[in-house]
Amino acid sequence: MDTLGLLLQGFGVALQPVNLMWALVGSVLGTAIGILPGIGPALTIALLLPVTTALAPTSAFIMFAGILYGAMYGGSTTSILLNTPGEAGSMMTALEGNKMARAGRGAAALATAAIGSFVAGTFATLALTFAAPFVAELAFYFKPTDYFAITALAFCSVAVVMGASRTRGFISLFLGIAIGVIGIDAMTGQPRLTFGNMQLLRGIALTVVLVSLFAVGEILYVASRYRSVPGVMAPVKGKLWMTREDFARSWKPWLRGTAIGFPMGALPGSGSEIPTMLSYTLERKLSKHPEQFGKGAIEGVAGPEAANNAAAAGILVPLLTLGLPTSATAAVLLAAFQNYGLQPGPFLFTSNPALIWGLIASLYVGNVMLLVLNLPLVGIWVQLLRIPRPQLYAGILVFAMIGVWGLAGSWVDLAIMFVVGLAGYVMRVYDFPIAPVLIGLILGPMAENQLRTALAAGQGNPMVLVSTPLSAILLTIAVLLLALPILLKRLRAHA
Amino acid sequence: MVIGAVWLVNAYGLPQGARYAAVGPGLFVTISGAALLILGAILILQIWRGESFQPQDAEDALADAKMDKRAFLTALVAVAVPVATMGPLGMPFTATLSFVLVANAFGSRRWWMDLTCGAILACASWFLFSQLGLQLGRFFPPLGF
Repeated sequence: MDTLGLLLQGFGVALQPVNLMWALVGSVLGTAIGILPGIGPALTIALLLPVTTALAPTSAFIMFAGILYGAMYGGSTTSILLNTPGEAGSMMTALEGNKMARAGRGAAALATAAIGSFVAGTFATLALTFAAPFVAELAFYFKPTDYFAITALAFCSVAVVMGASRTRGFISLFLGIAIGVIGIDAMTGQPRLTFGNMQLLRGIALTVVLVSLFAVGEILYVASRYRSVPGVMAPVKGKLWMTREDFARSWKPWLRGTAIGFPMGALPGSGSEIPTMLSYTLERKLSKHPEQFGKGAIEGVAGPEAANNAAAAGILVPLLTLGLPTSATAAVLLAAFQNYGLQPGPFLFTSNPALIWGLIASLYVGNVMLLVLNLPLVGIWVQLLRIPRPQLYAGILVFAMIGVWGLAGSWVDLAIMFVVGLAGYVMRVYDFPIAPVLIGLILGPMAENQLRTALAAGQGNPMVLVSTPLSAILLTIAVLLLALPILLKRLRAHA
Repeated sequence: MVIGAVWLVNAYGLPQGARYAAVGPGLFVTISGAALLILGAILILQIWRGESFQPQDAEDALADAKMDKRAFLTALVAVAVPVATMGPLGMPFTATLSFVLVANAFGSRRWWMDLTCGAILACASWFLFSQLGLQLGRFFPPLGF
């Protein structure tokens, strides 16, 4: 069946009343967590993982997709009105959007952000619709050596790109890999690093690490440096709709932001920060009013917001087609697939088309829902910011605790939550990036498995790792990623 | 570096190679342990050469503010409490206690309000998530229910 036929089938799944309800739940939850501080899409999905045992996989993933997209929409609201970007991808939006809001053009800023998110979300989902089956088709020909090269490249790019220093990026990555080797070795059945504890035989769950690093680490960090004076909220002034001039200045940045965000979201390590920054820089260069940048230029909101949402769709391409997570949220989504005994990759497109195409179709539906939820109801959403911070952070810890305890009812998990949470605090104080830990934890066992399978097939000959053109190219890029910055630095020093 | 050393010591007891697969269960343990050890040494060298650390930005936090030790320790106790009380006293009691402690760490001094809010949230969550199939244990084990 062709892509359009499969997509129509997907709409048949996504438009079922029960799935529409879960899409709405996801969109509402996503918008709320995008607005609230201290909680993001990765943490929310991780906290919901144990609950999904009672849900069909299609419904669960439709809800998760709503959370992923909704968080992007919600993040822009606090950036514009409060100048506090809820997540890294909203930083550029805050830069111009808050200036617009303070100049009495808050409504126009919110509108260009919401419509830009809708346009980008829809076009990026369209790109996902046609790119994903193509990549999945290619992935059928991938060998274990190719998969190992892909994971090696993901490791290098995540550690190099994320964070302020490569050393700290790699320490984070290897911490994740080190945690990932705990438990029974899948190939030989040998226990590794269990220290005689029976409960460690099953390994350390991603949910425990993620909840501890993101929720517990954040609570400890914010508590130690709490800014008790809340930010000043700019009132939503101006016409609720954009003017003709606003539209004329926004539509090109929306499309350019989408074109930048989607492919970059698919690359490991680029996250949402890099595409939004690139979009902002490009818009400033192309704008007819560059002098307005930094003072409230609408292009500076439209472009980065579109890039941010397109990047969210982009992460789904490697995740669904190769089973490769390129961000913390994608890593949790992969864990959710594994919870259901499903392995994303080319075979999932043929073995479970209803799930894949239902999920992709739900992204279109969710985008429409989010536009309706966000544009006219923004006044209601900002009321969430009135929740007192002490009770908000206390509530986040309660949900984190439930998420960890609900996994297996084990005190060992709670003890791990304490230790890893404390590590999350230290990482924030000393500026270690957190996402590489999760990528290392989830991709480490995958890399190990593919490496051992490839070497077994090659009878132990390490040259098998560069035996296919793809693996040779990817490993070369990985080496260049590591070596080039050092070489360039040396060359500059000698020049 | 400590983690790296522990991992390396443990890797010593694991086979590094395997008869057919060429790579045994110990190789990745060795790689991760050695990498952490080497990277830790590099970081110490960088610190010695004057590398500075800038705390990360977070909503509601001032990165350059002085550490509030009392708030930090109160929040840390709130995270440690579940290890000791979750099993013997149940999830609703533990969650209420942690809620009150975190709220206090963030400057709330309305004990009764926090206790009431925490108890309502903990009990409602216990009932709701138990209904959804999550195994959260008994409500209050000392009383046997």
